[in-house]
Amino acid sequence: MIKLQMDNISKVYGKGNTSVLALDSVSLQVKAGEFVAIVGPSGSGKTTFLSIAGALLQPTEGRILIDEKDISNLSPAKLAAFRLKNLGFILQSSNLVPYLTAKDQLLLITEMAGTRNKEANVKAIHLLESLGLKERINHYPESLSGGEKQRVAIARALMNDPEIILADEPTASLDSNRGREVVEMLAREVKTRNKAAVMVTHDERMLDVCDRIVRIEDGKIKEIVLSKEDRTLVNI
Amino acid sequence: MFLALRELKHSKLRYFLIGAIMMLIAWLVFLLSGLANGLSSDNGSALKYMNADSVVFQKDVRLFLHRSILPMEKVDDITEITGVNNAAPLGQLTVTSENINDSSQIDATILAIDPKSFLAPKIIDGIGLDEADSNSIVVNDSFKRHGVEIGDKLKITPSEKEFTVVGFTTRQTYNHLPVIFMHIPQWQELKFALPGSNANIENPISGIAVQVSDDALLEEVNTEIEKTITDVEVATRQVALENLPGYKEEMGTITMMLVFLFIIASFVIAVFLYVITLQKTNQFGVLKAIGAKNSFLAKNLIGQVFILSVFSIFIGVLLTYGVAAIIPPEVPFSLDTSLVVIYSFVLLAVSLLGSLLSLRRIAKIDALEAIGRAD
Repeated sequence: MIKLQMDNISKVYGKGNTSVLALDSVSLQVKAGEFVAIVGPSGSGKTTFLSIAGALLQPTEGRILIDEKDISNLSPAKLAAFRLKNLGFILQSSNLVPYLTAKDQLLLITEMAGTRNKEANVKAIHLLESLGLKERINHYPESLSGGEKQRVAIARALMNDPEIILADEPTASLDSNRGREVVEMLAREVKTRNKAAVMVTHDERMLDVCDRIVRIEDGKIKEIVLSKEDRTLVNI
Repeated sequence: MFLALRELKHSKLRYFLIGAIMMLIAWLVFLLSGLANGLSSDNGSALKYMNADSVVFQKDVRLFLHRSILPMEKVDDITEITGVNNAAPLGQLTVTSENINDSSQIDATILAIDPKSFLAPKIIDGIGLDEADSNSIVVNDSFKRHGVEIGDKLKITPSEKEFTVVGFTTRQTYNHLPVIFMHIPQWQELKFALPGSNANIENPISGIAVQVSDDALLEEVNTEIEKTITDVEVATRQVALENLPGYKEEMGTITMMLVFLFIIASFVIAVFLYVITLQKTNQFGVLKAIGAKNSFLAKNLIGQVFILSVFSIFIGVLLTYGVAAIIPPEVPFSLDTSLVVIYSFVLLAVSLLGSLLSLRRIAKIDALEAIGRAD
């Protein structure tokens, strides 16, 4: 089942002579249970790509369907509601709210959706436990390690039971061991919960955990590696 | 409120500081309002709480009782005007009194009245002006602080006349001086001791206090008095009070301070919140990315300001009443509960106003700010 479908997506910033083509007719499909990595040099358009896939930015042209719903023409307020209900985000290291405990980070999602109750509380605890954070449930981000923070972020991304999980450089501030642990955990959750996941990363060492690697260069998709066996052929 | 309460709890010092500033401002506002009220009472409580609606003055004396001279017969003329319920003569003179027991001197304002009229003061100790004893006087209870007791004799200087204190009244001051209530003939002897000082008016008085039968018709009755009676000017009690020397200046100064305090309160909150909001730009970006709506973030910010302000103002009120309880009676300080309530709400309103700047900032933050910063 296709969870994310992007058809001929283009994004132009600015107008007239100063306009910049950030994405040029990009198409991509991600199925349930699939973990896709997006790689590419700085300024290649990965961030724009992730922003559009994450319903944060509207494409100039093209069509985007998430869970078979076309979101190309939704208003900003509706997009926010859509993100809250259907998407899970894992951002860079600083993406937790500093004054919320690990559990409250998760409950915030349900609070914003107006569905915070006892069940949500139980669910939050279960999620944190499944990510090995049992002892950290009532800790603030300041007393968590970098890896633990990102595990909390994964748990938070799963809290609303999203269709798609989007990760933006989740390992940016972690050493390779911790980074790998986090990405492996993300991959495991994606598989067991049958979610679609898209991760933007610089970190080549994590790529073998992913099912597919998409390389973006100058706003175009250059290479798509489809199977694990071929991965070694990718020259990144 | 989910975020609001948790942030207040977590960043205690930060919000304690802003709360403390709010509390101090609230405290100062309430103290000033108490001082304004106290000064206003101190200056002219005899007028402020006078049982009259208007005061009739001689024409062209700028509503100054000490310069006004009217003939007593006008009291009857005014009483006959339609809409006037009652009228009573009033005499005024600023003097120095001397307690003959210990020769201590007390500055005072004499108000001369007819003991049978509605101007007779409320007695809290002793008896009212004795009709049989023309030298009896009733004085404000602040005389007690100078050691004056019932039965004591006061000498009014520079005359050598002595008067006997027969009773005490309360909250009766005029021109910041305690009031001595006195019979009119005795006051006339003091005031018009010099030949010709009565401007050839027989049985002169300073002014006439008027009660109207219907408050709604106050202005009409005043106009009617000015039309019917020659050479008089009529002021409502409030106007007469505001026209006391120094009254407007005192109130104006304090009002200006209060207005500035409200503006300062608003700015302090605005600046503090704005800096905090700028610091949290990235955090708001993340929250928006994961689906927070502007209304959700706005509610939390307003919730924080509300909780903080209510707490600060409440503590400010407590401290104010604490001060009021220990303040010495000589200090003109008197809290008006309804004013404290009104100023509390004004402070709450201006602090919420101060959050507008930050709300605007939050609304402008784009969820995209959370993405791609490692590029």
